[in-house]
Amino acid sequence: MPTTPPPIPPPTGPGSPQDVPPPRGSVPIDPATLPQPIRDELQAPDPVAIDTSAAELKDGLNRCPKCGSTEIRQKPGTDLLICQYCRHEWHGEGVEEEFGLGEGIDQLQGTVIASGAKDIKADTASLMTFKCPGCGAEVTVNTANAMTARCHWCRHVFGVNEQVPNGAVPDAVLPFHIKKDDAVARISQFVDKRRLFALKAFKEQFTPENVVPVYLPYMIVDGNASAAVAGHGEIETRCYTQGSDDKKKTYYDADVYQVERQIDFTVDDLPLESSSERGNLDTRANTNNIINTILPFDTKNAVKWNASYLAGITSEKRDMDVEKLRPRLEDELLSIARAQVEKSVSRFDRGVRWEQEQLSVHGTRWVSMYLPVWLYSYHQPGPNGGMLHYIAVNGRTGETMGSVPVEQWKLLMAALTVGTFLEAIALFLVGHSS
Amino acid sequence: MSSDGGMWLLALGPAGATGLYWALYRYYRNTDKSHDFEHETAVVAKPVTGSERDQKVDEVKGTQEKRISGDNVRQYRQRVKRIQGDSG
Ligand SMILES: [Zn+2]
Ligand SMILES: [Zn+2]
Repeated sequence: MPTTPPPIPPPTGPGSPQDVPPPRGSVPIDPATLPQPIRDELQAPDPVAIDTSAAELKDGLNRCPKCGSTEIRQKPGTDLLICQYCRHEWHGEGVEEEFGLGEGIDQLQGTVIASGAKDIKADTASLMTFKCPGCGAEVTVNTANAMTARCHWCRHVFGVNEQVPNGAVPDAVLPFHIKKDDAVARISQFVDKRRLFALKAFKEQFTPENVVPVYLPYMIVDGNASAAVAGHGEIETRCYTQGSDDKKKTYYDADVYQVERQIDFTVDDLPLESSSERGNLDTRANTNNIINTILPFDTKNAVKWNASYLAGITSEKRDMDVEKLRPRLEDELLSIARAQVEKSVSRFDRGVRWEQEQLSVHGTRWVSMYLPVWLYSYHQPGPNGGMLHYIAVNGRTGETMGSVPVEQWKLLMAALTVGTFLEAIALFLVGHSS
Repeated sequence: MSSDGGMWLLALGPAGATGLYWALYRYYRNTDKSHDFEHETAVVAKPVTGSERDQKVDEVKGTQEKRISGDNVRQYRQRVKRIQGDSG
């Protein structure tokens, strides 16, 4: 029986974010076999949307096209902007039409990169980036409407001398849709289902109202590609048992095939983290996979970049360019191709071992975009600077995922108790059978 | 039940303890979660080709393995030998 906790899962392979994720809501163990308190926690209902129309978000401070007033709000629960003065309602300029996104993907050739900084209409001089002395993150603030800001990761408050030259400005922004009350409720529900073994300090300090809205930088990529895979597959031809009683063993005969498949395909709006820090999904060092999990967003509804959208909301600088992200894109395109050909090899009932793969990317189109995330963070002290845990809520769909720090000894005790109980049954059975 | 068939039961305790530890750890920390881009991305694909060239090359007799060795048909993210194409 283990006396020390099993090691943290590796950054790649089974149990890591690089593994194909388990189906939504699945638990790898049958809750019916567990003690009542654990079962209750696992089987508690999942977070549901709670839509309260009280709080408003202050993004969207451009001028009303009808009366010129700057008293503009996002109409709660919609993508519309509304003028507080004349009640005129309108939709922000969509990037979908502007850049012709989503169209002619199968005709894409070469690399098309949206203008990034060139077409900006709003004044970006008021955008300042600060380097957080608390955790090292680079946080962008629109100083036109906010002179102070907090780091959304560690809540450190910035001073002017922490300013660094501003970085990249995106092509588009997807406005928040989920309101703060809703995000708070979702985060509370997420944690309520994970209290039994949560770190004591985390539970004591848990204040979901501390959730902050953040725009995180992504590259939204369309691609036109072809892929080919080759390997071996097996079809069972005979299944038989030999030996008697408990020495019985099952044997299989199979035909082995050389298998090849090709596929031409396009992908529409594949999101890639364009901050190298957020794109690093090493679960031993960070919990960035939590933010990755709340993808995708309805990026088709993004509007053209306008600094006014940052009112009261911090954001993060993009530091990955297209060439640096290309390997990530190719990796994901290969994974998509492999998923796409799976059905075509279903006749190989003993599975397929792909041995070679090939990818030809004919064309790609890249748009840099800010996506809205509600973020609750908790810093767990420990060696190497400890670990930052996040609970993140997709600012459009409300999808919620989080990392709750565990009280190691409690979890071990529960595991050992259940293990000891099982062992007692095993000893009983073995003792009575020989 | 013979001694051979029963001794494996002794692994029940350690296996149960480790299994429960991992299941709960992942439930809290969600280290195994990530964006399921393979299924949540809008993909338009032409029909898959190549099945007409499936060719029997060998036979396996009397193996106890339930699946082909190195089965990775559902391990989409497991990269195998990359043959260079004309990426551009
Ligand atoms: Zn107006
Ligand atoms: Zn910070």
